[in-house]
Amino acid sequence: MEDITLKKLWKAQDEKLDRSMKMNLFILESIQKQKAQSKLKGLARFKLVAVILGILWALFLGVLIYGNQLRNMYFTVSVGMIMLITIGAIVAYIRHIALIKDLDYSQSITDTQKKLARLQASTFKNRFILLQAPFYTTFFWSTEMIQSSVTRFCLIAVPITLLFTILTIWLYRNLTPLKMHKKWVSYLLKNDPEQVPVIQAQKFLHEIEEFKTAS
Amino acid sequence: MIQKDKEGFLRLLEEHKLIIYKICNSYCKNAGDRDDLAQEISYQLWRSFTYFDGRVKFSTWMYRVALNVAITFYRKTKTNEAIIQLREPDTETEDSRDDTSETEKNINTLQRFINELKELDKALMILYLEEKSYSEISEILGITETNVATRISRIKDKLKQKFSTINN
Repeated sequence: MEDITLKKLWKAQDEKLDRSMKMNLFILESIQKQKAQSKLKGLARFKLVAVILGILWALFLGVLIYGNQLRNMYFTVSVGMIMLITIGAIVAYIRHIALIKDLDYSQSITDTQKKLARLQASTFKNRFILLQAPFYTTFFWSTEMIQSSVTRFCLIAVPITLLFTILTIWLYRNLTPLKMHKKWVSYLLKNDPEQVPVIQAQKFLHEIEEFKTAS
Repeated sequence: MIQKDKEGFLRLLEEHKLIIYKICNSYCKNAGDRDDLAQEISYQLWRSFTYFDGRVKFSTWMYRVALNVAITFYRKTKTNEAIIQLREPDTETEDSRDDTSETEKNINTLQRFINELKELDKALMILYLEEKSYSEISEILGITETNVATRISRIKDKLKQKFSTINN
């Protein structure tokens, strides 16, 4: 099959397509109304709400720490860590919003698609938020509580915190696309409808990199 | 000089509507999706038109927007396994159903092959068949001209094999 024939065949579609595609490309006003709320704008708005709520939550935690005046180190350290991780999440979400705002369809295909895929894949990077879980099991500890019953503390509170810590670290290390070969990770991620586009985005990022590399 | 008002835009859209149709046809499996994609492309072109500054050729700009929207649309509407390889019957018009000429068969084979390609290879092949120069293809896709040439050659080899298998 020669080049010229391929191009001829491609051109031969014109008339057929012109006959079969009846949509009206020209009703711009109605298109504008229909598309005024694009999905990406929706995503940016969702992230903006999350940022506002996150800031309010971080401020509340800051007030709690300030109010505690270092009277209880367990409380200060736990709430402080939760606040730090919340701030990290706020920064990540602000970066996502900037990425959405920066998205320009008239840039090259590989650049634009890479930005979009990164945005979708960002859920995996944000799994550091999981790391705050153990601190929710320690913020109420106090020297008085420990001294009043060392045995109860060692048999109940410490194992619960340890369990949370181990579970959280394990999840953090395993819930990544790199561990997709593990059955449970694959099961968990593939059966979560929210994760499917994230996994596809990861795959697509690899495809873009491969596409950009001449070999 | 491009007239940057609604009339100017509509004229350009009319001039290029066939390529928009072809992109929609290559990235969508059914008629409903094709219509949605065509509208989405028109909308994004119109939205970006105000910012078109002439730093690149109009066709380069238009292909970038149309293909970016098509790839994004395609990826949104696909599940892991749903890469449709065959054109569905509803893509055919009444008068084309009985048309089994050699050319018709070859057009369908070519279209089927394009549909089977991955998103980025599909964009590359559309641009090649639209007779864009390697330099413009490289500018639209954001890859080197050498890469464009290598990839086109590989895809064409596969296509030749495909046609020869069918014809033998």
